Amino acid sequence: MSDKQLNQSSDVQKTTSDNTTHFGYKTIDKEDKVSMVAGVFHSVAKQYDVMNDLMSFGVHRLWKRFTIDASGVRPGNNVLDLAGGTGDLTAKFSQLVGKTGNVVLADINSSMLNVGRDKLRDKGLVQNIKYVQANAQYLPFEDNTFDIVTIAFGLRNVTDKDMALRSIYRVLKPGGRLLVLEFSKPEHELLNKAYDFYSFNILPKMGELVAKDGESYQYLAESIRMHPDQETLKTMMDDAGFEQTSYKNLTGGVVALHKGYKF
Amino acid sequence: MLQQALTSSIELLINKVLSLDTSEIDLNKLEQKTLTIVLSELNFPISLSVYNNKVIVSGLTERANCTINTSIKTLLALKAEQQLTELIKQDKLDLTGDIKVAQQFVQLAENLNIDWQSELAIHIGDMPTHKLMQVGKQVADKLQFASKQIKADASEYIVHEKRLVVTRSQIEQFNQQVSQISNQVDDISTRIETLAKGLSNT
Repeated sequence: MSDKQLNQSSDVQKTTSDNTTHFGYKTIDKEDKVSMVAGVFHSVAKQYDVMNDLMSFGVHRLWKRFTIDASGVRPGNNVLDLAGGTGDLTAKFSQLVGKTGNVVLADINSSMLNVGRDKLRDKGLVQNIKYVQANAQYLPFEDNTFDIVTIAFGLRNVTDKDMALRSIYRVLKPGGRLLVLEFSKPEHELLNKAYDFYSFNILPKMGELVAKDGESYQYLAESIRMHPDQETLKTMMDDAGFEQTSYKNLTGGVVALHKGYKF
Repeated sequence: MLQQALTSSIELLINKVLSLDTSEIDLNKLEQKTLTIVLSELNFPISLSVYNNKVIVSGLTERANCTINTSIKTLLALKAEQQLTELIKQDKLDLTGDIKVAQQFVQLAENLNIDWQSELAIHIGDMPTHKLMQVGKQVADKLQFASKQIKADASEYIVHEKRLVVTRSQIEQFNQQVSQISNQVDDISTRIETLAKGLSNT
């Protein structure tokens, strides 16, 4: 990260108050974040999968597989794939919970939800999937509904992360677990520098070239830097009531999978 | 994430092979059933689950109807139901859970009927496929012959030639004897020299 970016980042952290939040490195009113994030995802929805493959060199598929393997999902389980976007996790969960189980693909963004729904239907996955447009902070489900909740690459876009974690805790059944797959802080300084160079110099250009939207991918890079690191997120999950919280760094900490239980 | 890369590749491979099967295998019997294989060579499990006539490969162990603990070598030998029972008796394979699930998966692998030539011909044409298959057959025959020859030579060596080969202790004993003779020759030569000198003095 350049000095300018570092200063921006620390300035934002200092100046955010109860009524303001981050949108990348910008400080904005909390009320505005939902619509601004929505703007980003309306813009990238159609190219989302292609860009994911390009940006991560396909490794995002392995990160998601790792999440599935860590979920301990069983046939008959109720699963909530929050901020599920184009439904990569939902597709696998739908097959693993079987006909007796149920998967809810929830996303705040209608464009992402539409792309996800079309993709899953094209794959013939229709029997046990429901689609819900929902804000993670105000989940429209009864208490103790789900065995598993996952949120993959979505939490950093949520305006009030603590509130979202509490909301997830509420809808989980006792014994249920939350899995948060999210970009995080690389463990090694050299990797960190290479990752910063890639994120701020190459990523926006790829976004411009493929999705014709460099700004959205600039936001992606900035939002990743503003997201809490591994330990902070773990503490946030503890504070929300989760127990036995732990995390596993993937690809040197570029991504981390946090896991917590509700007992 | 080696596990995820491996399970992902296996899943792709299995479903591709199943889609090539000419007898249209029915996976209904295995619907929602999971077989978990724990190989001694790998430090993670591989679970095969069936959903909607597709095989899902994951690292999930919680859902296994049957778990097999074995090695890659034994797994490759597992081609028939009878062999499954035999391998369990020989303690080469540890099985927990519903044996029928394992048997059905073995049966599935056994009953695969794939016309590889037709599949290849779609991509590269009839003539190249025919030629390639001919070359393949020749190479396979030669490899088989070479393998038989190596086995025969090895057994020949073990049964007959090994007996004739001189052992290390025999070589040491021989070397010792050679040294002794060499010393004796030196002694005799010294004595002859002394005697020769005595004769010339008289």
